[in-house]
Parts: sequence; structure tokens; C-alpha cells
Amino acid sequence: MAERSLITQMIVGLLYPFMLLLGFYLILNGHYTPGGGFQGGSTFAMLFVARYVVFPVADMSSEHLHLLQRLFLALILVVPILVLFSGFLAGASEYSGMYLTLMDLFIGVQVGFGLGVAVFRFAFFKGIGPSWRF
Amino acid sequence: MLEIGMVLLMGVFAWLTIHSHLLRLSVVYMAIFSLLAAFVFVFHGAPELAIAEAVIGSGLVTLLYLVALQRYRVYTICVASDRHSEALSDSYIKGMENNEIVHRIRRFCMSREFEPEIVFSSKSVKEAMSDSRYDLVITHENGETHVYGPSNSYVIVELELMFQMDGANSGIRFGRYTREGL
Repeated sequence: MAERSLITQMIVGLLYPFMLLLGFYLILNGHYTPGGGFQGGSTFAMLFVARYVVFPVADMSSEHLHLLQRLFLALILVVPILVLFSGFLAGASEYSGMYLTLMDLFIGVQVGFGLGVAVFRFAFFKGIGPSWRF
Repeated sequence: MLEIGMVLLMGVFAWLTIHSHLLRLSVVYMAIFSLLAAFVFVFHGAPELAIAEAVIGSGLVTLLYLVALQRYRVYTICVASDRHSEALSDSYIKGMENNEIVHRIRRFCMSREFEPEIVFSSKSVKEAMSDSRYDLVITHENGETHVYGPSNSYVIVELELMFQMDGANSGIRFGRYTREGL
């Protein structure tokens, strides 16, 4: 593994909260301004990437991250079914922006964990391992 | 105007990506290419695509390529020169860098997808051989170049064959050694 440079550590540590902030900004304003779930989610994935760049140790279980990713995938499928088929939005159209922002948030977190898991598994792949499923 | 300049720059970086000799440099050029593509997307009124391109094209994909390149082997060649009085002087290093044999070994490594890295050291040949960091040891004495490689490595066999086939094996001798404790 590459040796750890103090400069990279300091700069990534400095940028870390701003990356998190940018991700949330892109997701929460995605309905009104450029951005959205996928773009914000990729910015979240960059957090994992930045962490890998300064600290390339496999101490975070990708199985747990994958579990969270699948949980949010289930939420993305379940929440629209519950909200749209119950006819709640038809009666209260002022909540539609809030609903879309919530869905963007789910998509963002799901994409972030998904890309993060993909990067981790690629980076720590040793040629053999458990067979991973979707 | 700015847009035309960016598209032209994209062409330049695409050309550089294909024609650079080091894969690591290609990856960097490709990241710059992605960033320019993101700017062009902004000019064409697609800011959402531009964000995705900037994050994924120049962030995630660049890192994935770099991780893949880390797997790809760096082949360390040691030039041992303890018997030279002017060893490690600038003129000696420049002379070795421009040496025909060193050039040929470098080209061979590139064709085999190794990253050749040449280390100049004031160690003796024996010390360099016992150092597990070096994959190939070269010495130059009395107008003759000696190339030593570990006996379990196929690279030294292929190198010898290449020099024989090119008819360039005058003034070069190959040797093999076994490293203790391996």
C-alpha cells in the first residue's frame, strides 16, 4: 500500500465536512436547482473514496454498508407505493416538494453506499472472497 | 469562444491520454478530459450532467484506475556502481540513462506492462542481489554490462532471448542468482 502522506491527510481532513455539506446541498436542493439524488449520492461516495486515499485499511465491513444500501433500496421501493397509492398527495399537493426531496435523500444515500461498496470491494479485492449478491 | 477552446483542449487531452508512455499519466490526462467535458456540459445547459460527470468522471473513475494501476507491478532495476570512482555523479547517471541496453530493458518492461523504475545505488552487486526490493541488478564495468536476475524469474530468460534475437548481445552478460531466505 502507498505510504501515507501528511499533506494528503491534512487536506482531505479539511475538505471532508465540506464534501458532506456539498452532498447534502445537492440532494436537498435537487428539486429546485441542479443536483439531485444521483449527483449528491456520488458526492457521498467520494467520502468513502477520500477515506480510502488517506487510510487504505479494510477496517470497515463492506457487508454492513451493503446491508444499509439494500435497506435504502427497499425504502425507495416501499415509500412511493405507500404514498402514491394511498392518495395522500392528491389531497395535499403542497407536500409534493417535500415528498420528492425525501425520495432524493433516499436515492442519494442508496447511491452513496452503493458506489462506496463498489469502490471498497474493488480496492480490497484479493482474487478470492465470498460470493456477493445484489 | 471559451467553449471552442475547451472542446479543442479536450481533443488535446484525448490525444495525450492515448499517446502518453506512462499509464499513470494517462489516468491524470483522462481526469482533466472529464473535467473539461463537465465545463462543456455547463455551456450546453446541462448542469446536472456536469455535476455527475465531474464527480464520477474525474473522481471515482480516476481512483478506480489508480487502484487498478497499484496492482500492476513496478519493476525495480538497480544499477549497482560501487566500483566506479565517479559513481552517482550526474554525468554517470545521464550516461547510464542513455545507455542502449538500459533503453532496451526499459522498452521490454513497457511492452510487458511493467512500470520500470531505475534505482542508482552505491551498493555492491552482492548487497543489491540480497535486497528483495530489486528485481534486476545491472552493473557496468570495462565496457561490458552485466545483468543479474533472480533464477526463479522468467523475466531474465525473456530478456536474454530478446537480446539474442535482436542480435544486440555483444557487450552484455546475463547472470542468475538465488536469493537466500525466499
